[in-house]
Amino acid sequence: MHTHDVVVVGAGLAGMRAAIAAHEAGVDVALVTKVHPVRSHSGAAQGGINAALGNATDDSTDNHTFDTVKGSDYLGDQDAIEILCGDAPGEIIQLEHWGAVFSRHETTGKIAQRPFGGAGFPRTCYAADLTGLVILHTLYTVCVKYDIPCYEEYFVTELIQDDHGGCAGVIAYDMVHGTVEAIGGKAVVLATGGAGRVYAPSTNSHSSTGDGMSLALRAGVPLKDMEFMQFHPTTLSPSGVLVTEGARGEGGILLNKDGDRFMSKYAPNKLELASRDVVSRAEATEIMEGRGIDGSVLLDLRHLGRDKIMERLPQIRELAMAFAGVDPIDAPIPIRPGAHYHMGGVHVDSWGAAPHMPGLFAAGECACVSVHGANRLGGNSLLEAVVFGARTGSAAAGFAQDFNGRGVQATPEHGVAYEAQLRELLERTDGPRQYEIRDELADMMQVKVGVFRTGSELAEAKVKVEELREKFKGVVVDDKGKTFNQSLIHVIETGFLLDLADTMITGAVARTESRGAHSRTDFLERDDENWMKHTLAYLEDDQIRLDYSEVTFTKFEPQVRTY
Amino acid sequence: MPETTFDVFRYQPDTSDEAYRQKYELEHGEEMTLLDAILRLQNEQDGTLAVRYSCRSAICGSCACRADGKTVLACMTQVEDLKEQNGGQPVRVDPIGNFKPIKDLVVDMEPFWSKFKSVKPYLIPDGDPPERERIVSKEAMQKIYNESKCVLCAACYSECNSLAADSDFVGPAAFAWGFRFAADERDGQRKQRAKLYSGEHGIWDCTRCMYCNERCPKGVDPRDAIEKLGGIAFQEGLGMRDAGGRHAKAFLISLRTGGKLNETLLVPLTQPIKAPFDLPFALKMISKGKAPSPIPHKIKRLDEVKRIIKNVKETI
Amino acid sequence: MARKFAYYPGCVAEFSSKELNSTTKALAPLLDIDLLPMPAATCCGAGDVAEAKPNLYLTLNVRILSQAEAMGCDIMTICNVCTLNLRRANKLVKEDPRLLESVNEELVKAGARPYEGTKEVTHLLWYISTEEGLSLLERQGPKGLNGLRVAPYYGCQLLRPSSVMGFEDPDQPQSLERLIVALGGEVADYDAKSRCCGFPILLARENTALKESHVALSQARDAGAECMVTPCPLCHLAMDAYQRKAEAVNGEVYNMPVLHLPQLLGLALGLDNKIMDFKRHMVSVDPVLSVVGGQPALAGRA
Repeated sequence: MHTHDVVVVGAGLAGMRAAIAAHEAGVDVALVTKVHPVRSHSGAAQGGINAALGNATDDSTDNHTFDTVKGSDYLGDQDAIEILCGDAPGEIIQLEHWGAVFSRHETTGKIAQRPFGGAGFPRTCYAADLTGLVILHTLYTVCVKYDIPCYEEYFVTELIQDDHGGCAGVIAYDMVHGTVEAIGGKAVVLATGGAGRVYAPSTNSHSSTGDGMSLALRAGVPLKDMEFMQFHPTTLSPSGVLVTEGARGEGGILLNKDGDRFMSKYAPNKLELASRDVVSRAEATEIMEGRGIDGSVLLDLRHLGRDKIMERLPQIRELAMAFAGVDPIDAPIPIRPGAHYHMGGVHVDSWGAAPHMPGLFAAGECACVSVHGANRLGGNSLLEAVVFGARTGSAAAGFAQDFNGRGVQATPEHGVAYEAQLRELLERTDGPRQYEIRDELADMMQVKVGVFRTGSELAEAKVKVEELREKFKGVVVDDKGKTFNQSLIHVIETGFLLDLADTMITGAVARTESRGAHSRTDFLERDDENWMKHTLAYLEDDQIRLDYSEVTFTKFEPQVRTY
Repeated sequence: MPETTFDVFRYQPDTSDEAYRQKYELEHGEEMTLLDAILRLQNEQDGTLAVRYSCRSAICGSCACRADGKTVLACMTQVEDLKEQNGGQPVRVDPIGNFKPIKDLVVDMEPFWSKFKSVKPYLIPDGDPPERERIVSKEAMQKIYNESKCVLCAACYSECNSLAADSDFVGPAAFAWGFRFAADERDGQRKQRAKLYSGEHGIWDCTRCMYCNERCPKGVDPRDAIEKLGGIAFQEGLGMRDAGGRHAKAFLISLRTGGKLNETLLVPLTQPIKAPFDLPFALKMISKGKAPSPIPHKIKRLDEVKRIIKNVKETI
Repeated sequence: MARKFAYYPGCVAEFSSKELNSTTKALAPLLDIDLLPMPAATCCGAGDVAEAKPNLYLTLNVRILSQAEAMGCDIMTICNVCTLNLRRANKLVKEDPRLLESVNEELVKAGARPYEGTKEVTHLLWYISTEEGLSLLERQGPKGLNGLRVAPYYGCQLLRPSSVMGFEDPDQPQSLERLIVALGGEVADYDAKSRCCGFPILLARENTALKESHVALSQARDAGAECMVTPCPLCHLAMDAYQRKAEAVNGEVYNMPVLHLPQLLGLALGLDNKIMDFKRHMVSVDPVLSVVGGQPALAGRA
C-alpha cells in the first residue's frame, strides 16, 4: 500500500495546479488519474482565461468581480469571487513564468487579451484557440520538472474514511493490471472535473463522468447547486464538439434562418457577448419558434477574414471542417446549445476544504465554492482551476502538515473489501448493459432537464432516474478480464452519472424560480426572496435529501440582470 | 444504411499470449468516425475490445491507431472515407506501430513518456522572473507555435522509420518539444539543449523519411523541428561533435570550394575514425569506379556562391 | 518539337553514380526531351544544408530555380532529394512574397539573378508516368522487358511530405507500377516500397540505416522480384552499394539487382548496355540482362 501526505485525484488543470502548490509547500504529494495527465479534458478548453491584467484596456479586479457576480445571477459567493478575481493576475503571470505560450499583443509584447461573454472589458488571455491545451501542457511540464509521482490510469472508486469521519485516502483500481489498491493520505483533493456525459450530446469528453463528485456524495458529503448546468451556446451538431466563445469574442455573429442577428432582441447591449445562459436561451427560443435550420442556428465568421481566422481561431476551423463539413472562411457554422459545464459540485469553502469531511478537499469544476453561482462566465473556469487549484493545494498541504499524530488511517484491508465487491459485480451474467442505461439517462436529461425546464417534465425525470438507478443495480460487466477492463470502468462511471443526475433533477424540481442557467418556463422570474440560497444535496439511504445554505455578499447588491 | 466490416487486431493477454485478428460487421449512418464505430462495437458486440479515447475532438491525443496501415486519430477519421480509399474492402484497424500492445489497440506508452521526459520538456529560464509577464514579441512567440500544438498522440512514432530500426531513437514528438523550448526566448538553455539532443539516438539519428510530417494530425511537422534543432546545434558550435553534424559540414565545405558535393571529403570527415577500418568495402567501391575524382569539380560562377555563403546570416 | 528542361542531375549522378547520368542523357531524345545543362548550379545541399543552415539552403536553391528561369524552362530532376529540396524552396518563396524579396536581395547582392517565381520542378518519373508520358512510350514500339519481375522502390522524399511533392498519393503510389507494366514488365508488389532506405544516416549511423534497407530488400525478394527499380541515386547507393553490408548486418541474402529508373526505360527501349554501364553496380545486373534478352542497340540514337 502506498501512502502520501496529499493525494490528488484527477490530473487536469486544477489537479496538477494543486499538486504543484502542495509540492512547493514541501509535502509528499501524488496524483492519481484515470487518464494520462495530458489527456485530461482541461485540454479541450479553447477560448481563454480571465484576469484583470489591463493589457488591452484599463481594467480592475473590481470590474472583474462585478462581472462575475452579475454573471452568476447573484448566486455566487462574493468573498470567493473577490479571491478568484484578485488572485487572477498573479496566477496568469505565474503560468507565463512557467512558460505558457500565450498569444501576445501586436506592439507591446504583453499577454494579449480578447473580449468574452459577460465581460465589461477585454480580459480574456488566450493562446490562439488552444488555451486549455497550452495551460494543461505547461502545468504538466512543471509536474515533470518536480518529478511529482503520478499513478496513471488508476481509477478511484471510493474514498477511504477514518473512524473520526475524516478522509484517509482513496481506493484505486489499477486499470492496466486489474488490481485494487488503497492509497493512504492525510488529505485528499478531488479534482475530477465535470459530468457533461450526463447529457447527450455534450461538449465534454467521454471521461467527464463526474467521478469525484459522486465519490464525495457517496461518502456523505453534500453537493452544492447541482441543478445549474451550463449549456454552451456554440456547439457543433450532432457531435456536440465545442466551438469557443472566442469566436464571438473575435467578432463572430449569430444568425437565424432568416439571416437576422437575433441577439439584438434578447441582449441589445452585449449581443453575442451576453452571458452564456442568455445566449443559449436565445438560440433555443429561435429554434423552438421555427427560425432555426435543422435544429441549429448559424455562427458567421466570414467577415473576420482568412488571416484573422487562421491566426486566432485555427483549431475551430479544423473542427468545423472535420465535424460539420464547413469551412468558416467561406460559410457560417451550424451550432446549437450543448451541455458544457457544471456550476455545481462538491460543497467546499474558499480554501477548497469540504466542511463535512476533514481532510477532504476539492477544486476545479468538480468543486462548488461557489464562484460561478447560477451561471459561469467564459474564461472563468480555467481561472478557477488554477486559482483554487493553487489555494486548495496549499490548504491541503497545510492540513497534512498540521495533521495530528494518528498517522495515515487507510489500511490495505480497505482495498481487499472493495476487491470482493468487484468480484461479485464481474461474476454477474444476466442483466442490463451499462450503455443502454446511460444512453437512456442522457437522452432523457437532454429533453427534460435542458435549457428550458418545467415542473411536470422534471417530475417525470425524477421518476425515470430513480427507475434507472434501480435497474442499474443489476448491471452486467461484459469483460471479465483483469487487463485494461474498460467495460468495468464504464459501468462504474454510469453509476456515478446516475447519482449525479438524481441530485441535478431533485434540485431542479425544488427550485421554483429561474436563475442563471436554471430556466423554468413555469417560474419565469428570479425570486430572490425565497431562492437567494444554495442547494445542498445529500445521498442518504439511497435517496437524495435537499438542504440549503446562505449566499455570501460583500460588495454588490443583487440587481435585475440584463445584457 | 452503409455496412462496414472491421478487421481488428486483437491481443487479449488474459486469455492468450498470441495476437490474432477478428472481424466485426457494423451497420451505421453516413457520417461515422472510426472511434465511434469502435465504441459501438465495444458496447453492442464485444465488451472486451479495448481502445484509449477521451475527448473525441482531436485534442487529447488518446486515440491514435492505424487504419488500413495509415496512422490516424480515430476520432477524426470517417469510416466512409476509409472505404473510399481502400475500394470498399474491410477496414483494417491496428494499434500504432513501434509499440508493444497491452491489449488490443491499447499500447504500452512508457517508452514514449520517458523519451519525452528525457529532453527536459520544461522551461529553464535564466535568473529570476520579472514581476509581471516576460515581454515577448508576437513574432518570437509565433516561432514556437507549431510545436506547441503537439498533443503527444504518438502518431509520429507509429511510422517513424528510424524508430523501427533503432528502438532507442528519442523520436519526433520529443524533439518537437525540445525545439519548442530551445527556441523559446525565455529559456536559458539553448546550447545545453542542443548538446543534449545531439547525442546518441538523437537528432542526427533521424532518417528523414518524412512520415512524421505526413502523419501528424495537428500539423506540427516534427521533422521540421528536428531540422531546426540541427540548425541550432550548428549555431551553437556543435556541428563537429557528431558524425551527423560533420556530414553536414562536408556539404558546406564542398559548396564553398567547388559548388558540388565533394565525395572525397564526405566519408573521411564524417567518420574519421571508423572509415579507415572499412578498407575492404572502400576497395570494392573503388573497383566499381565509385571512387570520386581527386580533383574536385568547380561549377561556373562559383564566386556568387562564395559571396552568398559569406553574406547569408542564419536566423534560427 | 522536344520539350526543353533545365537538367538538374544532382551531385551523386555525376560522380559515384555516373551511370545514371549517362543513361538519362542518352534516353532524352527517345523521350522527346531536351535536357539543357546548368553549369552554374550548386549542389542542392540535401537535407544536411537545410538542417545546418536553412537560410543558405533557401538562397542556393532559389538561385538554381532562377537559373532555370533565365533559361526559360522548368527543372527536371533524377533524384528524390534534389526534387524535395528544390520544390520545397520553390513553395516557400511562391507562398511568401516577403520571403522571396529577402532571398532575392541576397542573390542580387552576390551578383546572381533574382527569381520571379515562375518555374516548376519535376522528376523524370513524374514526366514519363503520366498518360501523356505513357502514350509517348507506346509510340516507341515494342518493349523489351520480357516479363521481368520488377519491385518498385520509391523511397521517401519523392512522395513525402505530400504538401510539397503532391504528384501522387504517398500511401498508394502507382507511377512506377504503371511504367513497369507499360514497359512489358511484371510488378512484384510489397508493402515497404516507400519506407526509407536509410541513406541520409548511412555514414553517420550505418547500423541503423542497414536495418532500414533490410525491410524493402527482404520484402521485394520475398515477393519474387528479379530486380528493384528506384528513381533516386541515393536510394540506389543504399540498396545496391551497401546491399552486401545489409546482408551481413541482418544475416540475410537478398541478391537483388537494383536498377536506376532510366536504366529500366533504357532496357525496355533497347539502349546500348555500354551506355547504361551496369558494371558500375555492386550487385550484378547479369540476371536481369538474361531475362530481358539481347536487344540490339538502337543504332544512331544512343
